[in-house]
Amino acid sequence: MAETVQLKGITKRFDETTAVDDVSLTVEPGETLGVVGPSGCGKTTTLRTVAGFETPTDGEVLFGQEPVTNVPPERRDVGLVFQSYALFDNMTVQGNVEFGLKMRDVPAAERHERSQELLDMLDIGDLGDRDPTTLSGGQQQRVGLARALAIEPRILLLDEPMTGLDAQLKNRLQREIGSLLEELDVTALYVTHDQEEAMVMCDRIAVMNEGVLEQVGDPEEVYAEPANAFVADFIGTSNLLSGSLDDRRLDLGFATLDAEVQRAAHQGKVTATIRPEAFEVSESGAFEATIQESFYLGEHVQVLATLPDGESLTLHLDPRLEYTPGDTISLTVDPEDIHFIDRS
Amino acid sequence: MSTDTRTGGVPERDPGRLGRLSAAFGRRIVTALIAVTVLFLITPVLVTVGASFAGEWTGVFPTGFFTLEHWRHVLGFADVAGAERALGTFQFQVGTYTVTIPFRSLFFSLVIALGGVLINLLVGVPIAYAVTRYDFFGRGWVNTFAVLPIVPGVILGIAFLRTYPNLPSAIALVIGYSLLKVPYMVLAVQSSFEAMDLRQLEESARSLGASWPRTFFTVIVPNAKTGVIAGSIVCWTLAAAEFNFTYMVYSRGPRPFSIFLYNNITNSPILQTAAAVSIYFLIVAGVTVLLQATGQRGFSVGGGG
Repeated sequence: MAETVQLKGITKRFDETTAVDDVSLTVEPGETLGVVGPSGCGKTTTLRTVAGFETPTDGEVLFGQEPVTNVPPERRDVGLVFQSYALFDNMTVQGNVEFGLKMRDVPAAERHERSQELLDMLDIGDLGDRDPTTLSGGQQQRVGLARALAIEPRILLLDEPMTGLDAQLKNRLQREIGSLLEELDVTALYVTHDQEEAMVMCDRIAVMNEGVLEQVGDPEEVYAEPANAFVADFIGTSNLLSGSLDDRRLDLGFATLDAEVQRAAHQGKVTATIRPEAFEVSESGAFEATIQESFYLGEHVQVLATLPDGESLTLHLDPRLEYTPGDTISLTVDPEDIHFIDRS
Repeated sequence: MSTDTRTGGVPERDPGRLGRLSAAFGRRIVTALIAVTVLFLITPVLVTVGASFAGEWTGVFPTGFFTLEHWRHVLGFADVAGAERALGTFQFQVGTYTVTIPFRSLFFSLVIALGGVLINLLVGVPIAYAVTRYDFFGRGWVNTFAVLPIVPGVILGIAFLRTYPNLPSAIALVIGYSLLKVPYMVLAVQSSFEAMDLRQLEESARSLGASWPRTFFTVIVPNAKTGVIAGSIVCWTLAAAEFNFTYMVYSRGPRPFSIFLYNNITNSPILQTAAAVSIYFLIVAGVTVLLQATGQRGFSVGGGG
């Protein structure tokens, strides 16, 4: 049965640098928790701490109620999936999947049955006898996943598993793996630098930057209500506007907008985030902006515009209209689409 | 604009007279040069092997084919004067049967060299692994010393005689060969290790429940199989033919192959020498084929001896 995995105040220092700084996270039973952030943010070190390949300088890792901080990796029952697949080329596909069961002295017949079942689930049931080097990248990653799942891990750790694959294959594999993890009720930690991938694959997302956990929440929450400027910028594109808030009126200096205020603390000088797709062109909008450049991107047109105070704005607008640089457009924003971030 | 379409998508430019000559003949000239060089180097080998079957070799080319007499001499099948310079045979009793092992010198050297290879494996594989996988204090020095065949055979031989004067020849030879040839093992295995992501392989295996020693022997070493095989073959052949160290250290007991070669080169009639040297050429040819079969085409080693 799936269990909770907890990180309590994990800190990891290498000589002078602090890779992970006081990170506390709870992975709920059966959920896929995404850990995203730019390279060097400490997400991989966090994963390696859960796997047991790094000993935290401070803090504790718990599987269920059991502290595992000092348990060696081979006795933690964690499944690892790497970007480079890391398949054992000296064994067949079947041999790879059965490796963990062999280490646990599971009888051959049972091993065979279990590995075949997993390979079938991953749609590579006929590749069992093949040499891993003869498989495509997508097939190799399926083998890697089957191998990690074969031991029924207490937590499955995926480190950039899709990064080496092309976009189309990535999309397909994301959907398949996502539903498989749900079906098998596996608790998983999914590390990626790709926020879109995290949003597709994960039930919740933890955003990290420079070793610090910036925000944890479900994808909608992290996207729509970023906790700070870093999250707003890292998860998609966002416009940051500073102004002052008086009750429900946001004064930007050149215009005043109606806003929904989620937290009482947000009053006076504030920073608001507004997503590019939240703006709409209207006959008599709340404020005006001057078009600088526009790029047709199919489902929308990305327009870079300048506000009256000189700040620039990124907009995703209706692709059926035309946007000529130098023209002025009048814009409105739904009060619900304006969010305020905590200033740090 | 030129109408020459052979350049495809590359921006066209006028190559000049020399450039045109080079485009027209360059490849053929290089091929011819290589062919001449290879021919120059291989001719003595072919002539020598040919001469070992000839009756006479007074001019540039041997004459009077075809005889197996010289081969019978060096292989030890002729009961004539000079038999002490043949490969010799080796006999022992199993119950009432007498087992005869032919080509004693060759057999002895191969066994001694195999002992050296075993030590090379025990020492070389862990060194190759450590310098590829870990960053530790003195890593650069270990790497350099491990791959530099730093002691010439003569020097090592003198040092051995001085330090261990009563060491039996066979044991001294095994230890000496292993010291002299370990760089070739480290290089071959290291090139295999460098081609794989050691850390991720190791971590995958350990997360699946394998202890470190088990990971090393069931995943890491088998994945470096081509390097281990190539390194073993190269160390084995080079050790079996090692002359300098052998000449310094060998005192009694069965005669090693390189001493057999030396005795023939210095004391035998020229055609018998040709036959003796041909044995070595045949071994080198055989090993080359073996190495090709293990897929280590790119691996090259310097001269032995």
